[in-house]
Amino acid sequence: MKTLLSCTINAEEHTVLVDPRDTLLELLRERIGLTGSKEGCGNGNCGTCTVLLDGAVVNACLVLALEVAGREVVTIEGVACAGELHPIQSALIETGGTQCGFCTPGIVLAAKALLDVNSAPSEDEIRQAIAGNLCRCTGYGKIVDAIATAATRMRGD
Amino acid sequence: MQPDPIGAPRGRLKVIGKRLARVDAKERVTGQAIYPADLSLPGMVYAKILRSPLAHARIRGIDTRRAQAMQGVLAVVTAADFPVVPVGSTIPMGETGYDMWMVAAINMARDKVLWVGQPVAAVAAVDVHTAAAALALIAVEYEPLEPVLGILAAMAPEAPVLHEHVVTKGIEPRPRSPSNVCSRVVISRGDAPAARAQAHAKAHVRVAVDTAHQGYLEPQVAVAQVDANGFATVWASTQGQFTAELMIARMLGLPASKLKVVPLEIGGGFGGKIAIHGEAIAVRLAQKCRRPVKLVLTREEVLQGGSGPAAGALIDIAVAAQKDGGLVAIEGTYRMDAGGLPGMSPSLLMQASAALYQCPNLNLEGFDVVTNKPRTEAYRGPGGIQAAFAVEQAIDMLCQRLGMDPLEFRKRNASVTGSLMPIGTPFPSIGLDTILEAVGGHPCWTDALGQGAYPRGRGLALGYWRGTSMTSAAHITIAGDGRPMVTMGAVDLSGTRSTMAQVVAEEFGLAIEDVHVQTGDSKSVGYSDGAAGSRVARTMTAALVEACADALRQLRSRAAEKLQSAAELLHYADGVFRAPQPGAAAISLAELMQATLTDGAVVGRGVSSKLPLGVEIGAHVCDVEVDTESGLVTVLRYTAFQDVGLALNPTAVEGQIEGSVVQGLGWALLEGFDYGADGRLRNASLLDYRMPTALDVPRIDTVIVETPVPNVPYGVRGVGEVPIVPPAAAAANAIARAVGVRVCHMPMTPERVLAAIRAARGGRS
Repeated sequence: MKTLLSCTINAEEHTVLVDPRDTLLELLRERIGLTGSKEGCGNGNCGTCTVLLDGAVVNACLVLALEVAGREVVTIEGVACAGELHPIQSALIETGGTQCGFCTPGIVLAAKALLDVNSAPSEDEIRQAIAGNLCRCTGYGKIVDAIATAATRMRGD
Repeated sequence: MQPDPIGAPRGRLKVIGKRLARVDAKERVTGQAIYPADLSLPGMVYAKILRSPLAHARIRGIDTRRAQAMQGVLAVVTAADFPVVPVGSTIPMGETGYDMWMVAAINMARDKVLWVGQPVAAVAAVDVHTAAAALALIAVEYEPLEPVLGILAAMAPEAPVLHEHVVTKGIEPRPRSPSNVCSRVVISRGDAPAARAQAHAKAHVRVAVDTAHQGYLEPQVAVAQVDANGFATVWASTQGQFTAELMIARMLGLPASKLKVVPLEIGGGFGGKIAIHGEAIAVRLAQKCRRPVKLVLTREEVLQGGSGPAAGALIDIAVAAQKDGGLVAIEGTYRMDAGGLPGMSPSLLMQASAALYQCPNLNLEGFDVVTNKPRTEAYRGPGGIQAAFAVEQAIDMLCQRLGMDPLEFRKRNASVTGSLMPIGTPFPSIGLDTILEAVGGHPCWTDALGQGAYPRGRGLALGYWRGTSMTSAAHITIAGDGRPMVTMGAVDLSGTRSTMAQVVAEEFGLAIEDVHVQTGDSKSVGYSDGAAGSRVARTMTAALVEACADALRQLRSRAAEKLQSAAELLHYADGVFRAPQPGAAAISLAELMQATLTDGAVVGRGVSSKLPLGVEIGAHVCDVEVDTESGLVTVLRYTAFQDVGLALNPTAVEGQIEGSVVQGLGWALLEGFDYGADGRLRNASLLDYRMPTALDVPRIDTVIVETPVPNVPYGVRGVGEVPIVPPAAAAANAIARAVGVRVCHMPMTPERVLAAIRAARGGRS
């Protein structure tokens, strides 16, 4: 029995018909067509589907679509503002912090959630913030550098 | 940022060697990069694969009638829907071809299942939920057989035999009865046993390596569509669009001209996406139900038999040296766990384990052994890490017995340009001595270890990987605005579009922004082998240098006509042709193309084949602290030195090295497949199969050394594979120097480290 659901995704109102078995990730990818969030495991172990739900980091594969009714979701497609990249995105490009790119959307959102509440994170805090996001290509060093660089720029030091 | 490369003067170069951002980075950080799982086609339906629950069984029958009758199910396939691919069938690849019988079997079992997770049937349905429900309605009648899981158990004469047709190759006289030992390979020179008997110092180590997974974050995926004329298009996550095309065509009995493979972005491959895993099934289902079909493997399928992990191994190595530290013998026995189908030749890893030392006596014997586990496939320098884990520990033990510094020992015995490789041919130009000099002068080697809560140690290990060249093709058209548009036959696994844009920009004297590079599908560009064996950057550079010269030759003759000058007298630089006289007329590429576009296309073609090898060599230094209470090993510092010939883009090279090292450390300390006695993988999730997170590894420091390869454009070497080779050995040597025990089982988990420490203390805890 499909249900009609309304929520805000990237500051846009959406009303969608969902299957009660759908996850938030399926809602985003299959029903809305926002394919930037990836599915690497479907179990909440890899972080490639990381999105922000009312500002908090969640694995979209572990949230049922029905749970987001009336709530606000930010996906990778909503991070850049009017074509202007977020400092985390620019820094990832500069440091070489994206390779195959499959983990990148999740990393950007996990890092954004960190910098939204902590403007001067230590390296350890950065590593903690992305500990739920596996990356198999970079070895993490250049991602950590990117997040630190973005934090510095956002502070305007 | 890491330090700049040590080596090749690059004053003349304007674009190559620069730290430029990837040309496709913006799509990646904004979520716009398209991977095959992101595709949706009108009328598309969804496929699911039914997999064997048993590790070893005969298939007595498959009844699909109930599944076929289920509402929402559009098609069902089993092995009966595919032509038989006989033993010995191959498709072209490199010098030996690629075993197509194996590829067919990993995609669909026929008559017998050989591991848990091997496909036995597949369904297409209106949605994934329906497809999954339909799988439960397929009745497969199995006759269970005894599974064989361990390497030694499989090699035992009384072991149940997996394949009745397999008789050990490489033994004279040829055995009469079938065996799980599929082949024996010997590399020998001098008289190693005699040399060892007379040597001053000896060391022996036996290591076991658990099967591990490549761990690409994107599961295998295929979207297949068949048009009204029967022409099939497959959008795939593959390391080679042409290889995939040949495999799919052969599995379906379809002419390759009736099929096109379109490679989209690939979310990691590392060797595991050379073979197809379901693409042919998706096409067959699409043919049957006349709708586009999407097949996406789940993570559990990827780990539990749906894709090939990397080979486990059991290796014995004995080494011996004279009193002065001269290495006189390396003897080794290498048993590779191929999984359920033969074909993991130990030859490359045997070579890898002996290549870096000038050793007069070698006696290496390797075995390819089948067990009832998923057929293993390539993983970044396949076999290299297993070999180094054995030989570099044995060398380290030898140094300890000789009382010799491990770096001095390596300097004393290192292979140099012209030294004989294990296969008997001399090394082309290599820079191992430069690497070892760099290690000796680096703080990672000279700094004190410092005090910690627990014992600390520093380990050194070397790595070698041969790589391959095979063939690459590309063409360049010149757009109406004079800009080169490049289509290459290789998929972009590691930033290839970016580095190749740098190569073309350099050749044309343009900025990287003026060059557009795309990966062609298998019908829009010339045949190229897959992205494997650290071959693409080198061979595609060679193909593009040729293609650029070809395009510029055509442009030059057009410019000569416009400038009314002899073509050979024109001067070309930075996108402009000039007549020779001072102050004479000039014409830019843009002006030239605007003036001559309708005279016909400019197409520059380039093909590279049989390019000299770009062997990869690295030395790694690892500092660890070993918690003697829990066995937990913490990597404190890690530095990788590598000769890359010439770094096309140092940031990209570092990215390859850093990622590869972390994969190596993952296998070294965390990652291993854990099989139950029934052959079922017990850790088939990314929670239980623990790949390193950002908290598990330190920053990886890199030192790039550049010794160009002769007769290769820009002297480029392979980069991506060798950095995974030394980490396990470097960590093991560091652990041994910290706590005085050898943990000879990879991964060196806390349990295994603790057990080794306790065993050394005589059982006292």
